[in-house]
Amino acid sequence: MDSETSKPSKYERFRIETKPAPHVYQIPNKFDVSAKKLRLAAMLVHEAFEYKLNKEVVLSRPCIYGVFGGRFGGFKPLKHKCVGCMRCVQEYPHIMAVKQSDEYKTLGDSFWTPEAVFTIWNEASTGKIPVKGMGYKGAFGGEGFDGMWTDMSEIVRPTRDGVYGREYISTCVDIGRKPTRVDFGKIDQSPSSVQVPVPIIFDDLPALEFDVWNAVGKAARKLGTFFVTHDQTRGEDYRERMIPIVDDNSLDETLEKRPSIVEYDGERSDLSEKLSDSLQSSIVIARVPLREESGLVACKLAREGVHGLHLYADYHGQDYSEDPKHISESLKEVHQLLVKEGLRDQVTIIASGGITLAEHVPKAIICGADLVGIDTTVLVALQAEFLGETQKRGTYKLRPRKIDPAWGTQRLVNLFGVWHDQLIEILSAMGMRDVRRLRGDIGRSMMDAELREHSFKGIAWATKN
Amino acid sequence: MGNQELIVEKHSERIHHGLEVLPTLRHGLPAGLGNKRWTAELILATYEMALTGDLPKNGLEHKIGDSGGGFDVLGWKNNGFPKVDQDSVDLSISLNKRGEGRKIEIPLPIYGGGMSFGSISLNFMLARVRAAQKIGTYTSTGEGGYPDAIVPYRDHVITQVATGMFGVREETIQYAPIVEFKYAQGAKPGLGGHLLADKVTSEVAKMRESSMFTSLYSPFPFHSVYSVEDHKKHVDWIKTVNPRALVSVKVSTPTDVDMVAIGSYYAGANIIHIDGGYGGTGAAPEIAKKNIAMPIEYAIPKVHDYLVSEGVRDDIVLIASGGIRTADDIAKAIALGADGCVVATAEAVAVGCTHCGNCERGRGCQVGITTTDPELSQFIEPEWGEQRIVNLYTAWTKRLRWILAGFGLKNIRELRGRKDLLVRYK
Repeated sequence: MDSETSKPSKYERFRIETKPAPHVYQIPNKFDVSAKKLRLAAMLVHEAFEYKLNKEVVLSRPCIYGVFGGRFGGFKPLKHKCVGCMRCVQEYPHIMAVKQSDEYKTLGDSFWTPEAVFTIWNEASTGKIPVKGMGYKGAFGGEGFDGMWTDMSEIVRPTRDGVYGREYISTCVDIGRKPTRVDFGKIDQSPSSVQVPVPIIFDDLPALEFDVWNAVGKAARKLGTFFVTHDQTRGEDYRERMIPIVDDNSLDETLEKRPSIVEYDGERSDLSEKLSDSLQSSIVIARVPLREESGLVACKLAREGVHGLHLYADYHGQDYSEDPKHISESLKEVHQLLVKEGLRDQVTIIASGGITLAEHVPKAIICGADLVGIDTTVLVALQAEFLGETQKRGTYKLRPRKIDPAWGTQRLVNLFGVWHDQLIEILSAMGMRDVRRLRGDIGRSMMDAELREHSFKGIAWATKN
Repeated sequence: MGNQELIVEKHSERIHHGLEVLPTLRHGLPAGLGNKRWTAELILATYEMALTGDLPKNGLEHKIGDSGGGFDVLGWKNNGFPKVDQDSVDLSISLNKRGEGRKIEIPLPIYGGGMSFGSISLNFMLARVRAAQKIGTYTSTGEGGYPDAIVPYRDHVITQVATGMFGVREETIQYAPIVEFKYAQGAKPGLGGHLLADKVTSEVAKMRESSMFTSLYSPFPFHSVYSVEDHKKHVDWIKTVNPRALVSVKVSTPTDVDMVAIGSYYAGANIIHIDGGYGGTGAAPEIAKKNIAMPIEYAIPKVHDYLVSEGVRDDIVLIASGGIRTADDIAKAIALGADGCVVATAEAVAVGCTHCGNCERGRGCQVGITTTDPELSQFIEPEWGEQRIVNLYTAWTKRLRWILAGFGLKNIRELRGRKDLLVRYK
């Protein structure tokens, strides 16, 4: 045998090492189970007679999850074990009651539903894709990403078996400008693009806690991604993964540290020039709030030579227009204008604001982003406390708790692992090998409003009595 | 009787009693029951119909859920006064509209969807096939094989051939009056089946020729089918093994579902079965259920209209599934363009399912439906389950006849594609 071919391959398939990182702070019980105690006692007496004091039969309990497995059975149910199966209510409707707990129902805010908070907690805790039986249980459609479905391929497809498969589906994306032609005069000056293995970065967090930033920085290093920060003292041990947001105060420090990627306020053209002149090997990204004129701003910046655009909405995914739109809409408009102007392939688009669930990643990419930034989701994964509305970037009400950075890192790695697997599920179902092919591919998505008008055409409107 | 039998008997009786008492609302509407698609009222109404064979008389909502879209925002122009004799309304449909092949008619525009051995208990499977036999319709094996216990009912059992080929044998194809190719399913479109390790008991493993307590993932797609021509080869294979069998093709609802339908027609299928994303009974990643492929309400008109425009609509049967919960859903699906519907979840609700979605945890379903646990499985006695399912369909029959009679339609086939009889609410 040829000795060259017998060498073990150095190829390692990309995978994110997830492992359990259980909740440190107690999470609320989803269900509140209670018994009418007098009726319960009467029932036990009745069953004692009916089954002739056969203890095993009398004490066999109507729960397979152990809610009544404590010392006091139904008198003091183990509420944390209740999964809401309702069997106890089915068997003893006159005694038992199960409802969603008040603590659960008040979780989150007007955007973060209790279900979404629980989903992120469980993903960060287990590192496993949420799998459940008996079909979908939620609303039909909705606004923004909720009113959008991704396509699937029935038979003709290059990939198979999703996350369990043997074929490789790439989730890598590049950050940086992609020149349309070789310019020999600038060949040594253009910064090369940087690749991230998953199309997600950590966006700037309003949190000040060093432990949170250390967890973010370390997770970014482990995952091969980046974190954006306005304060370069946060997460500075992981500086090679940092994307600083530069302002007048931090300009000198940034020029000195020479980060591989840097962001600045897109409206500050003076900063853009300084950065381009002084940091020729860095990728320069303009942060642009999504609003009415964002498309024109994006085109102007792209023509001026910026390498990327970080388009952001508020933390609830609403843009900053006078009549706010969902990020999915405004992102699509910017993307399509850049395409029309022949500029789209030259710049990277990062989208953030309202990217809070795994399905938002492929949907934002379909709407035109190359990759996304996550923000409040990071704090939710780290069990931050909701104190009110989280919508506004300046005055959000999500208080980080004290954490062990190692635990926090694992929670964030788990979150990325689970989101990566779910992205693979979506790409696999669509028959795509590469997430880069998904960008702006509106044709591989379906919009509730459009489908409704097409399919329900000819059906008269009516008012319910 | 030993203690184990006594315990099963005790809980079985209590559950059955509860299913009778809860719909009376004597103890109120259980706060923790239901969700937007299957509301507490819809679940209790289904219990009531499965008990009495009649529509609920205490005002329980039995027509729609609370999802805010699709079937839930559609209603009828009907003013409620019958224009023809309700009892004379014919609900039968043919499952073969081609000029050749066996003629099969079912008395209701409904047959049972695939729920595999392993994902559901054998007792529930038996209840379903017995009900199908009694009604004169069919039910599908799902992809988990063909247990010997259902062989006596084989004239009413559809053999499913799915990508995992679990339990597919020459004789199970030869048994079948209808063979169903499952290319995809709505709850996990493009992802293949998924049976978690806890449910793969020795019996399930034996049936599927796999290892015990090892998760089973069906591949996706059929690795032998990458074109309509390959698909035709599949259909020909079945027709060679069993020339009398009708062929159904079950697919999901991508943007090009109309193209898939026409391809299936030209490949020789008798039934095109489109499965929307909002149904499903087995385990599925949560991301797949909500986000991949379009809901059935939108797919039906798309496929129907395209088949009409291609001039083949009257040569192929269009069956819809994936979120069909009520008699009204069925009638609406037909008004949107389907010939009939496949139902699965509602049958599970008829025997006590609460739609809690915990089917995949540990021992599985707490009331013995989606479980392979020997003790829990006994909660569903096949005769009891059979009667509950028959009763549910009997109640639905009454509602379907009421809707049709209100429009003066004498048979359900006249309802097909009559979107003009629907209204939509904001």
